[in-house]
Amino acid sequence: MRSQFVPLLLNEAAKAARRTLPYFGIFALGLANVVTYFAAGHLTNAATENAWGYVGFSMQMVFSDVGPILIVTFAARLMAEETGTGTIRAALAAPVHRWEFYVAKAVIGLLYMMVFSAAALLFSVALAGIHYRFGPIGDSAGIVYSRNQAMQELLAAYALSWIPLGALVMYGLLISTLIRTTGEAVSVAIATLIVIDLTKHLAGLDPYIFTRHITYPWLNLLQMAHAMDYQWRPEVWKMIELSGVSAVIMFVAGLIIFTREDLNH
Amino acid sequence: MTGHSPALALEDVSKRFGRIQAVNHLSFEVEPGQMCGFLGPNGAGKSTTLYMIPRLVRPGGGRLSVFGVDIWKDYKKAIRSVGVTVESPAFYEYLTGRKNLELAASLLDKVSPREIDQILERIGLAERQHDRVRVYSTGMKQRLGIGRAMLGRPRLLILDEPTNGMDPEGTNEVLSFLREQVRKEGLTVFVSSHLMSEIEEFCDTVLVIDQGRLVASGRVKELLKPHERIVRVTFQGRIPDGDFLSRHGEILRVEPVSGDTVEFTLARDDSAWLNQCLQQAGFTVSALAPKQKTLKEFFLSITGDKSHA
Repeated sequence: MRSQFVPLLLNEAAKAARRTLPYFGIFALGLANVVTYFAAGHLTNAATENAWGYVGFSMQMVFSDVGPILIVTFAARLMAEETGTGTIRAALAAPVHRWEFYVAKAVIGLLYMMVFSAAALLFSVALAGIHYRFGPIGDSAGIVYSRNQAMQELLAAYALSWIPLGALVMYGLLISTLIRTTGEAVSVAIATLIVIDLTKHLAGLDPYIFTRHITYPWLNLLQMAHAMDYQWRPEVWKMIELSGVSAVIMFVAGLIIFTREDLNH
Repeated sequence: MTGHSPALALEDVSKRFGRIQAVNHLSFEVEPGQMCGFLGPNGAGKSTTLYMIPRLVRPGGGRLSVFGVDIWKDYKKAIRSVGVTVESPAFYEYLTGRKNLELAASLLDKVSPREIDQILERIGLAERQHDRVRVYSTGMKQRLGIGRAMLGRPRLLILDEPTNGMDPEGTNEVLSFLREQVRKEGLTVFVSSHLMSEIEEFCDTVLVIDQGRLVASGRVKELLKPHERIVRVTFQGRIPDGDFLSRHGEILRVEPVSGDTVEFTLARDDSAWLNQCLQQAGFTVSALAPKQKTLKEFFLSITGDKSHA
């Protein structure tokens, strides 16, 4: 029997395209970017003296609060909405394996995260272009990083940012699998995210929580925009390890729970 | 899969939720080309049984098969022959009725837009197909649910309370439509309903479960054979008095129905004997008929007058 994964994914995309949240998310991003733009105008920080610095700064701002909340909200709705409204009963009464359904949900969550972060980057780059230059980065001694090097680092930061954000999607999806009503799933996902972020330092858990790396790739870009000699590659490996392992554990846990649970209520 | 396989077969199926035994070694078969009613009091295990067919609930033991294909061994093959609606049908309310059908159709093999048109026409939603489901009435959603279950031309249709929320006219329309599909297309319909009159009128066979076990099954006509022990008699002139009753110990009870009609409960299935006794005693009988059982009476007699199916 052929896999129903592609039709399922197309169905997920069709459903997402008709919801308000993805569009609201992009709108909220734009708004956050504009606010950041005006805030940056009041800063005398050297980080905002060039476009690379502005992009690093604004992406950090956007992904410190608004971005993760919107991404986790989207992910936390994915399963809970289907179980809460009962549409899952019809979806699984088709020739579809549960794992295919779950994987399609995970992929659509990741796609949304990518579109969302791409939109944030585009907003940021567009606003940066108004006042700043995407030129080479230098200090009083001359050019430290060429324009190409800076561009490569920007793209690397963008790609690396997907890793902790991917883990965030899997976190939302896991909550969505455990809690079967949309409102509760979204509330729990956001609340726990905030509580974890507020308490992880106090409990000494910071090194073990993937959320610490959500803005990390953009911090690297910001440091480079300062013309600093940044030593970030060891930390990048830690980020890949921590976020990757967290994402895989949460995905597998959600998948096992979903494929084994009774869906009679 | 063979040509003689039952449309749906459950063999020794059980399911326990904590301390509650929802389904208890349940076995039955539904023959192809029939409309089979599925009855049981609240909490009898009907919904759990229906949920197990599309694998929404994992059975604790036993085997479920559709046209000979084991649901747990080859789900995709088994479920391709089945259209299911369990509980009240749920839809993506922000999408149109048609888009909901299109999404469901995309997961089936080769359902053409024309087939969707035909289904919308049959369920009477062609004109409202582009409205969002959130503005549909309960009855329209029920019809859309039946339409969705019929996508891909299934050979077995499993419907849970398909006429909930429908007006009598709509109920009759839907059930007549299903009946016609059984007759013309050889479709098998397995339908749970709490409306006994629906099951009685439209189904060929009926299965009754209670406390997770099968307590009765068979053809509706056979299960509802006239009740020879309860006989309704209409008299011309006088009606029997206490003296008559005291002379006939086999008459257990007499209940007046109206001025000239009385219902006798006999100790044995023999209305002819009663007729003879009445004639001999000089009563003029204008009508005498064993009482026809209704499905509701039959159901209550075997499930012990619990609340409805």
